Amino acid sequence: MAARAAAGKVPLVEPSILPGFGLTFGFTTFFLSAIVLIPLAALVSMAASSHWDDFVHTVFSERALASYRLSFGASLVAASINLVFGFILAWTLVRYDFPGRKLIDALIDLPFALPTAVSGIALTTVFAQNGWLGHYLALGGIKVAYTWIGVTIALTLIGMPFMVRTVQPALAEVQSDLEDAAEILGASRFYVFRRIILPIVVPAMLTGFALAFARAVGEYGSVIFIAGNLPFKTEITPVLIVIHLEEYDYHGAAALGCVMLSISFLGLWAINHLQSWRRSRFAGAGR
Amino acid sequence: MSITLDQITKRYQGAPVVNDVSLDIGDGEFFVLLGPSGSGKSTLLRAIAGLTGVDHGRISLHGRDVTHVAARRRGVGLVFQNYALFRHMTVADNIEFALRVRRMKASLRRERRKELLRLVALEGMDARLPSQLSGGQQQRVAVARALAHKPEVLLLDEPFGALDAKIREELRRTIREVQRELGITTVLVTHDQEEAFALADRIGIMNLGRLLELGRPEDLYARPATRFVATFLGAANLVLARHTARGICVGGDPVTALGSTSTPAARDHEVVAVLRPEDIEIAPSREELRSNFLGLGTVEQLLFVGANERLRVRLINAADADQVVTSADSNTAEALLEVTRTQHDRRNYPVTVGQAVTLGVRRLHVLATPLSSFTACAASEAQALALSEEPLLVQLAGRMKTRVSTRVEPALAQAVEADPAPFAGVAVISTDPQAVNTVQWLLLRGAEAVLLLPPQAPSPARVLIHWLDESARRATLAVSASLLRHVSAEAVYVGILADDGEASRPEGMRALLDARSEAQAVHGLEIRTELGFGDVAQELTRRLTEAPNQLLILGVSDISVLTERFAALLSRTESPLLIVWQPGDRPQQA
Repeated sequence: MAARAAAGKVPLVEPSILPGFGLTFGFTTFFLSAIVLIPLAALVSMAASSHWDDFVHTVFSERALASYRLSFGASLVAASINLVFGFILAWTLVRYDFPGRKLIDALIDLPFALPTAVSGIALTTVFAQNGWLGHYLALGGIKVAYTWIGVTIALTLIGMPFMVRTVQPALAEVQSDLEDAAEILGASRFYVFRRIILPIVVPAMLTGFALAFARAVGEYGSVIFIAGNLPFKTEITPVLIVIHLEEYDYHGAAALGCVMLSISFLGLWAINHLQSWRRSRFAGAGR
Repeated sequence: MSITLDQITKRYQGAPVVNDVSLDIGDGEFFVLLGPSGSGKSTLLRAIAGLTGVDHGRISLHGRDVTHVAARRRGVGLVFQNYALFRHMTVADNIEFALRVRRMKASLRRERRKELLRLVALEGMDARLPSQLSGGQQQRVAVARALAHKPEVLLLDEPFGALDAKIREELRRTIREVQRELGITTVLVTHDQEEAFALADRIGIMNLGRLLELGRPEDLYARPATRFVATFLGAANLVLARHTARGICVGGDPVTALGSTSTPAARDHEVVAVLRPEDIEIAPSREELRSNFLGLGTVEQLLFVGANERLRVRLINAADADQVVTSADSNTAEALLEVTRTQHDRRNYPVTVGQAVTLGVRRLHVLATPLSSFTACAASEAQALALSEEPLLVQLAGRMKTRVSTRVEPALAQAVEADPAPFAGVAVISTDPQAVNTVQWLLLRGAEAVLLLPPQAPSPARVLIHWLDESARRATLAVSASLLRHVSAEAVYVGILADDGEASRPEGMRALLDARSEAQAVHGLEIRTELGFGDVAQELTRRLTEAPNQLLILGVSDISVLTERFAALLSRTESPLLIVWQPGDRPQQA
């Protein structure tokens, strides 16, 4: 009786067997609005309330354009570096057992936990011209600190854990049976890697790439030390925004913020799209 | 020969998981490797496929030595238990994988794919993804994929493990048909004896890394040589019987034996008989039995399973109850006999639980094993009980599905002249500085072998074998083979030459080779051989001290040799010793 009554009622009211949908959904909307949507809307409205000429002037100034190039360019390069080396790191941690594996595994998370300013200071110490590594690099004519290379290194550091932590579980899921099967069927190691392992981990790699990229675009603390913040050269957009703020130019800061927001949104949307396109191609409707 | 394995050994962290396996599989044969989990059968299959290297031995496929050839160049097909399909590829891409690797033209690939899909009855499924197929269909795809590159050998690793009963049977039939149609040499690994019976031309049974027996399914079922095979392949009651001049006696009357040992025995001794549940008859009284009388019993359990009725019957005449060792699927040493009856018999004589019945034996098979039972002997009850609970003994008895009985013999303490009831099987005593006298005393009173057991001895990793004279060779090898089937250890025959230079060397070498070939030919046991020099007792003692976890099997035909020259060796209390006595031409016992 009770079961029938429940069966008749449940699908009408709640889309799930578990109760509490109304409450949780309400909370989700509220939380998302309060923390994410309303502040963003305020940003956009503030940018919109400025004069059109001022807006264009701020957003398309030579200095701003240079900062976009550096911010998004360096983030892209950093995420790409992480794509390759983060994969290798994850591979090593998943596939091999060696003394100290646990320690290295724990080290991966360190950039998460460190205040980014600390990472910035540390990187600057090492890569400055009289630093441990910078000293040798300078001998080879490579200048890291206060150039775009330094910016890229800082962004690579803070993006690395995102990449490793998303690829690791996907790699762990590739059963060794699959590789054995492919090998018996005549495939070489490289072929197995290309045709069996890569297709399985590519979605995770794309997600990791997107996360690392998004994190890099928004990074501020670790970059300001190593970049030197020379206008037109090593000034990233977040720094420019802060400069506007320090000059009490809130409208200018909001305008730049809006540009960052839209470019980031477009980037994430593109990667998401790429992923679902891949999924439809490989995993089909059966999933 | 399609597949030839020559003394394959594979160790994991020192312990052999595949132990000296030699095997020939013929062209087009369907061979089933059967064994419980952890018996090394899957490792052996992976070694044939090339996915696992071997530590010792050679593997040949169609006469080509492939021991060091990579898996992808061996030309085998392998089907995994979990299918191992490439989930991001369609059925078509999965099947064509091997062909793509070989850069076959697209049109030829498609043709081959169609042919394979027809073979496994999956036409039209080309564009599906594995996730859109049922388990049975996925495994069919896996079979088709494994066959795509026309391998010379098909290997199946528990391919039906994850499927339900009906699909399993269907797929089994498909695989048998495919195998017949292609005539491809096939090796299937399974722990399911029903599957083995349904598919195999020949079955090889593995346990503890050793290949115990191989043969046609019906032969293995009717005439198993070892306890393990008797109980693993179908249900079996193992019963201790006496081999006498009149024949095999279970209960009282001689029974027709199916085995080869129908010759009357020169000396009464204990043997292990296999009673299949369907070979036991039950009747209301002794007069109505149409077969040899076995004993009286009460029905304890009744189970009706389709075509047959299964009963558990407790033997109630105490003397006989003691003889029933165990039944196949219970490890408890209860005197319960497993019996199955056809519907016809059931209608003629219906029984209920608790009913008293008379039991008869239609036929039985005597195992060729010389180790029938263990008796822990000591001077006091507490000592005997402690001895019977020694881990090594418990492990051995458990694996051999035999029981350890205890016996208190006050005379043991002094080894004085006394006339107790005769001993049977293997007498077990704890190691003792005066052991040599006890050993002699026990052997002269019917014990076929004596096991000297130090306290808390671990399971041996190495078994040394030596006999003091050639007339003890047969018995020693038989005991060694029987023991080694139940422990995971390396067997080494130690030949020892007197230190008189080159004179006796050829003779010694010949003895080594003889020992090895006899072990192989008669018992299917691979043993290594090592040569030592000097005094036999000293050399054996030296080898025992050399490494821990060794057990020595010492064969003797003249007990006086033992008492005169081996008292020191027998007084050692570090390692277990098994003394096997085969009386020589002139029996010593009065």
